[in-house]
Amino acid sequence: MTGSTARAYGALTPPLPNGVRAAVGRVLHAGVFASATILLSGYVVGLVVDRGLYSSPVVEQAHLAGKAGYPHSLLAVWDGIWRGSIEAIIVAGVLVLILTPVAGLITSAVAFARRRDWLFTAISATVLCVIFGSFLIGWAAA
Amino acid sequence: MPFSDLSVTNLAVAHCQVVRLYGQLYSLPVSIAELSLVLFGVSIAAGVLGSLLGLGGGFVIVPVLTLVFHLDIRLAIGTSIVAVAATSSAGAARNVSGSITNLRVATFLALATTLGAVTGALLAGVFDARFLFTLFGIVLAASGVQMVRKHLTQAEKDPGLAVETVKVATQAEERGGWGDQLADRLALHSSYYDQAEGLDVPYVVANTGLGLGLMYLAGTLSGLLGIGSGVLKVPAMDLAMHIPMKVSTATSNLLIGLTAAASAVVYFARGDIDPLIAGPVAIGILLGATQGSRLLLGIRAGRLRLIFVVVIGIVAAQMLWRGIG
Repeated sequence: MTGSTARAYGALTPPLPNGVRAAVGRVLHAGVFASATILLSGYVVGLVVDRGLYSSPVVEQAHLAGKAGYPHSLLAVWDGIWRGSIEAIIVAGVLVLILTPVAGLITSAVAFARRRDWLFTAISATVLCVIFGSFLIGWAAA
Repeated sequence: MPFSDLSVTNLAVAHCQVVRLYGQLYSLPVSIAELSLVLFGVSIAAGVLGSLLGLGGGFVIVPVLTLVFHLDIRLAIGTSIVAVAATSSAGAARNVSGSITNLRVATFLALATTLGAVTGALLAGVFDARFLFTLFGIVLAASGVQMVRKHLTQAEKDPGLAVETVKVATQAEERGGWGDQLADRLALHSSYYDQAEGLDVPYVVANTGLGLGLMYLAGTLSGLLGIGSGVLKVPAMDLAMHIPMKVSTATSNLLIGLTAAASAVVYFARGDIDPLIAGPVAIGILLGATQGSRLLLGIRAGRLRLIFVVVIGIVAAQMLWRGIG
C-alpha cells in the first residue's frame, strides 16, 4: 500500500457497518415476500370467490382500454379488502411492492439517527417528504 | 391522436394480437384471465433478462404492453414502474448486505432522483402519447449503444482499480482537498472490499453537483417513461462522480427502487396502475428477478447481451415509428 492510499483511509468515511446494510436488505426482502404473498392470495381468492372478474367481457374491455374503475386511494383499498374485493387485495399487494424501497429508506434513516448523523437523518427525512408529497400531488392531480 | 380515441381500436387490436399469439390453440376472443397468464409469462422473462443484463424490467414491459397488446402507453408506463420497483427491491435485497452499496451516496442522490421522478410522472400526464413513444425509442436506442460500448470495453484489460484509486488519492493530496467541497461536507468518500483484487479499495467522490443534476434528469426520465434509467444513473456516478463501477452499479440498483417509488405513487394516485394488469406483471417480475440468476447460470451474459442489442434496436425503431410515423 502506498503512502497516499494509507493516508486516504484516514480521511474516508468508513462504510456504514454491515449490520445496517443487512437490516436494509432484510426489510427489502420482507417487503418483496409480503407483496408476493398478498398478490398470490388475491389470485387464490379470485379463483375461489369471484370468477366473474376474469370472465366478464365488460370488465375486460374497460381494463384493456384503460378505463376501468378500481380503487386508487388508500381508503378505497382498505375498504375493498374488508369487503373481500379481489382488485383491492391486488392493489394492496402492488402498493406494498411500491412502498418497499421506502421502508428500506426508513430503516437506513433510523440507523443514521442512532449514529447521531443528523445531516443524513435530515436528508433521509427530506426524501421521505418528497415521496409523501408526490402522493398528495398525484392525488390532487387525479 | 388523443388517448380516448384509441380505446376501441386498442381493444380490437389487442384481441387480434393475443389470439394470434395463442395461435390455433384458442380460437376464442381473449379474456383478462388469458391476458394475465400471457403477461405473467412475459414478465418472468423480463425479470430474468433484467437481472441478467442489468436493465430494469421497464425496457421489456412498456414495448410489450404497447406494441403487442396495444395498451394505452400511460397504463403501460404505470405498470412498468411497478415492475421497476420490484426488480430493484428483489435485487437490492440480495446485494445490499454485501459491503459495496454506498448508503450515504444513495440517500443523498435520492434527493435529486425522487424530485425528478415526481416531475417526470407529472409531465407524463401532460405530454401526448406520440411524444412518449418517441422519447422511449430514443432512450432505448441510446441504451443499446451503451450496451455495445460496455461489451467492447469489457474485452479490454482492466487497468486495475487499486492503481486508479491511488492516482485519485494522490491528485487529491496535491490539490490539498478531496473530491469537492460538497462531497467533503457530506462525507461521501468511502471504501469497499473488492473480492477480485482481494483488498479494500478507497474512493473519492468528485463533481457532486454535476452528479446531482444528472440524477435529477435520470429521475425525470424514469418517472416519464416508467424505466429504472440505470442507463443514466450508473454513468452519472461512475463517469461524472468517479465512484468505482461496482459501487455505482450496486448503489444505482438501490436508488432505482426509491426513484420508482416516488413516481409510482403519482401513477397510483392518478389511477394509472391497473391492478389486473400490474398484478401478474409484479408476480412475474419478482419470480423472474429472484430465480433468474439460478436458471441462467450456464448462459454467458456477454453473448446474450449482443443478441439483445439487436432486439433493442428493432424495438426502439418500432417505438419511434409509433411516435413519428
